[in-house]
Amino acid sequence: MIDALFNDPGYLGAKRMLDATVVRHEAIASNIANAETPHYKRLDLAPSFQQELQNALASQNPARINALQPTLAPDPQALAANRDGNSVNLEHELVELGRNTLENAVQTQIVSSMLAKLRLAITGKT
Amino acid sequence: MVDLIPSLPSTTAALDAERTRLEVIAQNIANANTTRGIDGRPYQRQQVVFQAVLDAAQAGNGSATPATVPQVVRIEKDTRPGSAIYQPGHPDADANGMVQLPNVNIYEEMADMIVASRTYDANVAVFKNGRTMAMQALSIGKHS
Amino acid sequence: MHGITSIHQILPGQSALAAAGSDPASSVSLPSAQLRELNASLPGGAAEVQPAVSGSFSSLLDRAVQDVNAKQSAANQALQGLQSGQNVSLHQAMIASEEANVSFQLMVETRNRLLESYQEIMRMTV
Repeated sequence: MIDALFNDPGYLGAKRMLDATVVRHEAIASNIANAETPHYKRLDLAPSFQQELQNALASQNPARINALQPTLAPDPQALAANRDGNSVNLEHELVELGRNTLENAVQTQIVSSMLAKLRLAITGKT
Repeated sequence: MVDLIPSLPSTTAALDAERTRLEVIAQNIANANTTRGIDGRPYQRQQVVFQAVLDAAQAGNGSATPATVPQVVRIEKDTRPGSAIYQPGHPDADANGMVQLPNVNIYEEMADMIVASRTYDANVAVFKNGRTMAMQALSIGKHS
Repeated sequence: MHGITSIHQILPGQSALAAAGSDPASSVSLPSAQLRELNASLPGGAAEVQPAVSGSFSSLLDRAVQDVNAKQSAANQALQGLQSGQNVSLHQAMIASEEANVSFQLMVETRNRLLESYQEIMRMTV
């Protein structure tokens, strides 16, 4: 009975997206920190994660959504612009950093408001 | 210590490395005209060498990122010869009246300094954003 | 009058009680034996009153209490993992503790409603 409260696919999807933004922040931080390191290839979320998440949401299966974990992988599309084989573009990383922080705020807000709705339904008070 | 802000170790390592680089650049610029150093020879330009070092502690933490942090591996002297100018009246002139100048190119140093400080600022932005995300996470359960 | 109908669900075999539940205005004299059983089945006694109804409401309550307990211990584990520097991120710990809070509130509110309905029953003139 209690687990049914938290098994809404939308809620679970929002939690996974929140995980993904935190993991992506680590990748962007590593990219920026290693912007001068020779032969460093930039990291990002594994490209399959977005597709897998959409499939899992479409299937509406809570266990499947829960089992999904965001992972990091070297970005296959990043070209090495420097002589030393470093594929990090600093402006691009800074833009992604800002975007990711905003995405984190959005997902936090979604999760928070779903929990607040539950609380309202249960207690009648906010 | 609690690891509240993600990926702090690599960011602090990068900040350290860039600050070291800025210090070396400042030293180069300050000694751009030192024709006689402690060892009697003109000042030799120094440069930092970065290397990605595997951070064992972070790898053991099970965090998502592969644990390469940038580190200044060594500071080595630039062995390129500096220019020599003809100035017979100079106290450091040799028998032919040539004075050996340090191999510091001011424009190179300035360009390096701009890149280093831009990277430093970028890492500070990373830290600030990480802190913002942690504060947002703390507000998840807040009652209005 | 939702409290009365939930009593009806607890003891479906008690047709006299069901009749009383559907028409609270009428005064039905409950046999004292049935009243004793009603006493035993409500607050304090999660034990089965009659073997025929053991699969229904009381086991539901048992499962709910266990689920709430599991959520609380998961939240505790997450907080401990956060403090000991293991691989628990801050938002996961916050979400876990908030879910535990909401589950606990649900249990408390359920208990309050049951208590209210029990008192409502007891107030009925027999």
